[in-house]
Amino acid sequence: MNIEYNFAFFDEGSKREIRRATLKAIAIPGYQVPFASREMPIARGWGTGGLQLTLSLVGKEDSLKVIDQGSDESVNAVNIKKLIVLTTGIGVTDETAEATIIQSRHRIPETPLQEDQILVLQVPIPEPLRYYEPSEYETKKLHAEHEYSGAWLMLFEQIVNYGAMSTGADHPVMVHSRYVMAPSPIPRFDNPKLNQNNALILLGAGREKKVYAVPPYTKVASLDFEDYPFRVETFQDKCCRLCGAKDVFLDELLNDITGEASYQCNDTSYCLQRMNGKSKG
Amino acid sequence: MKLDLVHDIQAAYRKTLASMSRPGLIKNLRDQADKVAMEIDCFNSTLVLALMLFDTEVTFKICSEHEAEMAKLINQLTYAKATELESADYILILHDSKPGDLEKAFQMARSGDLLDPHKGATLIIETDVVCNDRNLTLKGPGIEKENYMDVTLTDQWVDWREEKNSEYPLGIDLIFTDRENNILCLPRTTQIIKQVVG
Ligand SMILES: [Zn+2]
Repeated sequence: MNIEYNFAFFDEGSKREIRRATLKAIAIPGYQVPFASREMPIARGWGTGGLQLTLSLVGKEDSLKVIDQGSDESVNAVNIKKLIVLTTGIGVTDETAEATIIQSRHRIPETPLQEDQILVLQVPIPEPLRYYEPSEYETKKLHAEHEYSGAWLMLFEQIVNYGAMSTGADHPVMVHSRYVMAPSPIPRFDNPKLNQNNALILLGAGREKKVYAVPPYTKVASLDFEDYPFRVETFQDKCCRLCGAKDVFLDELLNDITGEASYQCNDTSYCLQRMNGKSKG
Repeated sequence: MKLDLVHDIQAAYRKTLASMSRPGLIKNLRDQADKVAMEIDCFNSTLVLALMLFDTEVTFKICSEHEAEMAKLINQLTYAKATELESADYILILHDSKPGDLEKAFQMARSGDLLDPHKGATLIIETDVVCNDRNLTLKGPGIEKENYMDVTLTDQWVDWREEKNSEYPLGIDLIFTDRENNILCLPRTTQIIKQVVG
């Protein structure tokens, strides 16, 4: 026998474990299912949870897209693609619509997902209650008892201190009216995309060994108050300086010399696609 | 051709995942199940599911006229351990199970606890035909408006399931398999509404 990489890097036992956990995660939307994560040959903080989910899913027919903070070309995204291509031989794509599996860190793509796609989100901290409760046993108990007053209090304190909910990203959501869930550090702008999405969304945390899921067509509500309703980041009348897109998540760029601000799509493949689609002249 | 334990199992997993994510969506495992080159007392698709999910970490219970042989075979193939209904991770109710087995399985199956609801069992139930006839209406996560399903069982299982799953997030999840190697999954979140006979 010649020594080769396993298909999709993992041994079949590791895939089985994640597959069992994933099926249970879908059956209990927003609940964090523990699994025995194996050590990955990549540095921590690299998104091992997302990668392990992708490796448990991927087959020869798949087309993979990997994005890191909106970019297909970041070092992280490129390295993850390299590992998967090396161990599976599958094709990769930058175009959201062409991918069967999309692994992402910090964003949900601007292009709406389709029913036959799976979005895998990398999660650094899966526990939405960790901010005020350090003990894993205690947070498990709070979830068990549906005791989320701490989560509301945390948001309320932000309003008292800052006049608004100041969660920049990872704003907690309520899934299927039962579990409070960390949506991963996506901007608030992306939270509404979790609600009633066409696609299956899987979330994986490698260090904490948790997988959880938002099935398609599932109710996901961002936590808020009647007097202080949840609001996404607004870019008002701003638009992308390259493709002119409005109503997308924009990055602010400051000119070093003039100090002037300009804006650009954070989702670079979406931006490129719009520019390529425009007739020149 | 022989069942490929990497690629065929991966393909079967993705179909199972799709079916679990969209309750009522029937997927067919024929391409994988046809490669099971063995005389067995269960449907080939049921064995494919066992090969996909079972290993030393898993316990199972077989309800079948051939329970002893099947339990031995599954253990030899997967190293999963046979156990009793109330402690099994997976309960396989085969087409030749005794009348009463299904009800007992629904009653006795582990439904997890509030700290670990994922420890609720998965029932794999063999039935002659799984189809989308409008006998039962399905609603819940994974379903845009409503889906429909029917299986070759009297509808009593719907009541047993409802009783078992009455304290969400506790509960059990179902996978039906049929003679044509169709599968249909019902996670515990799915509400089933019986057709009112007019
Ligand atoms: Zn743009």
